[in-house]
Amino acid sequence: MAQPILIAENVDKSFGITHAVKHVSLQFERGEIRGLIGENGSGKSTFCSMLCGIYHSDGGRFMLNGKEIRAHNQVDANRAGVSIIVQEMGTLSGLTVAENIFLGNEDRFIRLGVKNTPAMNREAQRLLDEYGFGHIKASLMIDHFHFEDRKLVEIVKATYFKPQVLIVDETTTALSQYGRDELYKIMNATRADNRTVIFISHDLNEVLQHTDHISVLRDGELIDTIPSQSATEDELKRLMVGRELGSRYYRTDYPDETKPLDMVLSVRGVSVPGQLQDVSFDLHRGEILGVGGLSECGMHELGKAVFGASYDRKGSVTLADGTAIRSIPDAIRHSIGYASKDRDNESIIVNDSICDNIVLPSANDLAENGVLMQRKLNRFAGEHADHMSVKMTGIGQFVSDLSGGNKQKVVVARWLGKASDILVLDSPTRGIDVKVKADIYSLMAELRAAGKSILMISEEIQELLGMCDRILIMKDGKINAEFIRSRELGEEDIIAKML
Amino acid sequence: MKSQNIAADSEARSARNLRNARVHNRLQAFLPLIGLLIIVAAFAGLTDGQIVTMRSVRLILSQVYPLMIASTGVFMVMTLGSLDFSQGSILGISSIVISWLSFYSIPLAIVGGILTGAAIGLMNGFFHVSFRIPSFIVTICTMYLFRGLCAYLTTDAPVAAMPSITALNQDWIKLAITAGVLLAAFLVFRFTRIGIDLKAIGAGELAARYSGVRTDLVKVLAFVAAGAITGIAAFVNVVKVGSITSTAGNQFETQILIALVLGGLPISGGAKVRFSNIIIGTLISLILNNGLVMIGLDTAMQQLIKGVIFLAVVALTIDRKSLKVIK
Repeated sequence: MAQPILIAENVDKSFGITHAVKHVSLQFERGEIRGLIGENGSGKSTFCSMLCGIYHSDGGRFMLNGKEIRAHNQVDANRAGVSIIVQEMGTLSGLTVAENIFLGNEDRFIRLGVKNTPAMNREAQRLLDEYGFGHIKASLMIDHFHFEDRKLVEIVKATYFKPQVLIVDETTTALSQYGRDELYKIMNATRADNRTVIFISHDLNEVLQHTDHISVLRDGELIDTIPSQSATEDELKRLMVGRELGSRYYRTDYPDETKPLDMVLSVRGVSVPGQLQDVSFDLHRGEILGVGGLSECGMHELGKAVFGASYDRKGSVTLADGTAIRSIPDAIRHSIGYASKDRDNESIIVNDSICDNIVLPSANDLAENGVLMQRKLNRFAGEHADHMSVKMTGIGQFVSDLSGGNKQKVVVARWLGKASDILVLDSPTRGIDVKVKADIYSLMAELRAAGKSILMISEEIQELLGMCDRILIMKDGKINAEFIRSRELGEEDIIAKML
Repeated sequence: MKSQNIAADSEARSARNLRNARVHNRLQAFLPLIGLLIIVAAFAGLTDGQIVTMRSVRLILSQVYPLMIASTGVFMVMTLGSLDFSQGSILGISSIVISWLSFYSIPLAIVGGILTGAAIGLMNGFFHVSFRIPSFIVTICTMYLFRGLCAYLTTDAPVAAMPSITALNQDWIKLAITAGVLLAAFLVFRFTRIGIDLKAIGAGELAARYSGVRTDLVKVLAFVAAGAITGIAAFVNVVKVGSITSTAGNQFETQILIALVLGGLPISGGAKVRFSNIIIGTLISLILNNGLVMIGLDTAMQQLIKGVIFLAVVALTIDRKSLKVIK
């Protein structure tokens, strides 16, 4: 057997009290696509970050083609032959597309200290054309392009120099089907070229389809590496969680559509310049209403508009009794809760305690004649955090210490604490592991049964199909189609209306 | 066998890490207090115990009142993650207003001083919030503006208050005022939602807005409160000095800033602020000032040492994770 392309020996890393990666040893073969899966906080991203020099390992080493690599930053790692495409935005605004692609490697275009911009642009354009992304102009500012095109630029940046090992870290969640297909092509080409791809994704189906082997991490430890061909999604879930997950994941009921429902929220003619155009719909009691579309279709702004958080909103959002929702305090006072897609900036105050975060929206209710007693706040926050089984050392712990799934649990806890009747959940399971995902789905079903109403905005079609009573599909800031829950409804029907 | 060792090892390690984190947190909470004790001990040694004599203690206490009062207001502003450099000028203008009004009635003078401070605070808050100008820029502008006005009003002669006002210059009165301000601010900070709101804005303004905090309103209120409270400090100042010159309150803003930071207030504000920062901070800063004078250093040397200590404290205590930009 040929020598493995990459060997990780006993790699170890702790962050403060969290032992993120526990003595992991792994081998990667030449010419394979290796899936790397695990729940949030299982250590997969930390593992890859050490490989590309974003973090330094506490112990162990990486051997690439028999030589130890010690990268101190990403440019180092690139030169050693390791490259990464990350989940979040990896391009820098204020630079051109070409400058982004060659960031840290400008030397080759510099003569006597002067940068040859035309040559750089020409070379970048040649690469873009070669990848089939000719619609992106290398000389323009990156800011001219939307999220997906920037992601494509990042892909070019990470792969043009033919790295020995390419890491794709949770990138596909940010991409539409077109972008995903392009990425898969590049992954396959890398494999065909006898180089190696490490593919991280929460979408198990996708991992099964596009990889040769899958390594599973749990709590920082390597559990197993299995061939993808014979693996099943349930087997992977079991390995990730360490126990059998119930068959319940999405809802399984398909109610009669004939049952009339009470309207609880009415959205009429809502427009936000550049984002939404004349959107109208009703939300009913005990309904999960889904909103889907491409990420730029305006659906995320719609959530903000309903919550009273849009600047410059026209049109009306009213409750059943005619109360108008014009601002965030209006919305909160009238039992509307909101979880943003941008969890760390908009949903939760990361540098504040779990207690303060849970208490904030309910602070007025908890006050007696304007007086807040800390003991009462602690009890309130403790109750609701426990109810959501947030993994924490105590309610005084800062949210910044929590994993993505647990942060989302805190977000949900605060709105349940506020006894919200209407929940606007924007991408509620984004970047969240299977177990918390299942918790959130079953909670949504419970809330629905209890007569609450949920407006779920999601980029995941499966989730919309699995959870919603009705689905609105948006395109270019307008509602393009409406679907009623049914067994016959398939992904293709939805995609057709998104594009 | 080997894997068992590794497991045991990692468990021991995470227990150790947890313990370290706890110790670290507790240490950070007590650091300012420890600093205060060290500074007292150090100067007691350097001055052969002079600094702990009754005379020195009374001297230091006489300087504590205006600084501690005004720091209480700025504490709220800094919890937001903002800065307020206009405090010195507010002290100057409010002192002048109080002096004028003292000829009519003392209560009127106090109310006038508070309203003057509040008005300047409102101006700070309005420009900061409505025009989205960072607070340190707005307050540097108002600092110069009102310093200029202060100089203009005192061009011909210092503004004198009613001479009998200095009869109020008694420790128990000033102590009562200071304690009253501290207590009122503490109650508001601890037992109303304003405390949670201030910390939330400092920790993450956008998320605070999405959590229902009326961020703009709270910010304006904090600046108004800081101005009004400095109006009270101005009264204590007038009582002590009797007449106001153009330099009244000069550099007062930096004294406040240094006191709060020495007291352990994170310069980025947010959820890690503690009310005790005000009290410990003002004491540290005044003992430092007086101690340096007592050991006979000249002014240039004193400033140099204070600068070094300030820089060191900020560098040691700054919360790099949450510091984005001073608002």
